[in-house]
Amino acid sequence: MLLLAVVAVGTLAANGSRGLRHAAVALAVVSCAAIGIATGIAVSPQLAVAAAAALVGAAILYVAARDGGYGEEAGWRVWLATLVAAVATPVAFASFRSVSSETIDVPLLGADARGVAVEVAAFWLIASGIAILLSARSAVRMSIGAYLMVGGVQLLVRLVPGPHLALTLLLSWLQVLISLAGAFLIVNERATRDT
Amino acid sequence: MPAVAIPTVVLALAATVAFGLRKRVRDVAILSLLALATAMTLIALLPDGASGALLELPLRLSPLARLACLVCIGTLLLLVVDVWIGEPAYNFFPTALGVGAAVTAALLLVTPLAMYAVLIAALLLPVGSFVFQVQRNRSVEAALRHFGFVALGGCLGLAALALAARLPHDEPANTFVLLVVVLIVAFALKLAAIPFHTHAALLAGEAPTAALALYFGVLVPATFIAFVEILTLSGLLPAIIQVTRVPELLLGIGLLSALGGALLATGAADLRRLVVCSVISNVGVALVGLSTLSGPGIVGGIAIALVTGICATQQLIAAGALERRALAGPPTAARAPLAAASFVAGGVGMIGAPPLLGFPGHFFVELIAYSYASWLGAALVLATLALLLAQVRAGIALFASSAGRGWTVERRPVAGLVGLVIFAMLLAGGVMPDAFLQPISAFADEFLRALRPL
Repeated sequence: MLLLAVVAVGTLAANGSRGLRHAAVALAVVSCAAIGIATGIAVSPQLAVAAAAALVGAAILYVAARDGGYGEEAGWRVWLATLVAAVATPVAFASFRSVSSETIDVPLLGADARGVAVEVAAFWLIASGIAILLSARSAVRMSIGAYLMVGGVQLLVRLVPGPHLALTLLLSWLQVLISLAGAFLIVNERATRDT
Repeated sequence: MPAVAIPTVVLALAATVAFGLRKRVRDVAILSLLALATAMTLIALLPDGASGALLELPLRLSPLARLACLVCIGTLLLLVVDVWIGEPAYNFFPTALGVGAAVTAALLLVTPLAMYAVLIAALLLPVGSFVFQVQRNRSVEAALRHFGFVALGGCLGLAALALAARLPHDEPANTFVLLVVVLIVAFALKLAAIPFHTHAALLAGEAPTAALALYFGVLVPATFIAFVEILTLSGLLPAIIQVTRVPELLLGIGLLSALGGALLATGAADLRRLVVCSVISNVGVALVGLSTLSGPGIVGGIAIALVTGICATQQLIAAGALERRALAGPPTAARAPLAAASFVAGGVGMIGAPPLLGFPGHFFVELIAYSYASWLGAALVLATLALLLAQVRAGIALFASSAGRGWTVERRPVAGLVGLVIFAMLLAGGVMPDAFLQPISAFADEFLRALRPL
């Protein structure tokens, strides 16, 4: 539960940050918390790969900012993204829940072996990412939205039976590629604005 | 390493080396050609059904995968020749090789989640080649929209597939239907189907023609085939057939794209927009074929997607050559007659006219559309007629503007030669379509079996 709260607060921080560098730090925190949530259902190599990709992705966005002041003023979009995530998360959890028992028990600290927290965090990240991405005006917030979405997808994929390490590797590469493409666009967009 | 994975690995390694050497255009172009030719040869030599596993991910070379890989890599090879000789752009080569590796992997994989993840990577790779002359055009904005559409559609689709794979089978059918709807919308975003085509419209105006050909000539057909394969492998098809609204959604998107794309093509202001709108229209026709959930519809849809990609490449390469030769003025056949002829020939293939290879696909889909509902068949014929009108208008404009001018044949007629190669292949395929249609019909059998499991 505590890690879920970190994911939620970290997402809000990334969403509301004026500067890309602050947002990148918040994204790294969100990713670490999301990986912490998944400790009960994933083995160490998977978590290590996912953590490395998440940190590299956040670092790429941090470097792309080039200075602490560059970013996009979110304004009312912060509230839109928060509202969408707050509404969509319980709806998605209720619609697609795979937990059969009526009472859901999630420990305050420690691993959540049944995947309830994983599902909630995944839906929260995907819903936040969609709202941020759809309301973005520039490459900065679009990259933040895409990063959050792919983080949420990674959590959902951990619950799927199958070759976990291979899927983790693929999605980790995808997360880095999304960050690289986002950073490339951020740099070019800035070049256009500066001239 | 299994033999079936070697073509992908060759292309991926070549892409990495090409990125390091990208400023040495001649060297990197030769490396790209060698790598693409090697991958094509390896795929052609592998036996049907060759399989193996890489990092626990199963791979299989189905007849359709072989056909699609050969078409996509062959198209990339022609594009590399055009960019090397006609329009040197150093960042194109590693992108093309990376796209080749990712498309091959996506077509060979048999795990839907892995296929989808690799496909998203393939769609993200051209972002770098879309952006050029950032101070003079809106290419960054166009690339940004493409990035947004791919990221949104990609993550939604992956989430839908992950949820579908995890939910118990006794879940209410509506839950699966909701996931299928999300998956269809996710693919519509990536296929630039109307109403999800705004990024394509912007790209058409601002991105270089070679990068456009990479997207509309290689990635759009590969995405369509991956969509059909993912539907087959994900186990979602039985849920689709239970609820008629899902095929109707697919039909609606397809029909809207077919008609809308054709109407937009009739009003296209330039050649590249005409090509992009024609692709959107043909993707719509292919989606209509798929929505009928019938053998001829599936065969026709996949055939249309593949041939459309080839024709789009031919037309975009020709459009690029015409634009370059025209300098600031309107494109005219007088300055590049071979490229103009190639553009017109590509248009003939694009509308599905006989005796070219585009004809069987259009014939199958329009036939099954008439048997589905006469208004549906009539709508598809109307779309084809509008496309014909748009292509004829463009051809006339190209040649009419040449009247009274001295004709100058291109010094390096690469667009004309590439067009001639493509036209000859389409003609040969149209005269003997069995080799092209058999792998597709073998896949259609698999699709129909997955639709109604015993």
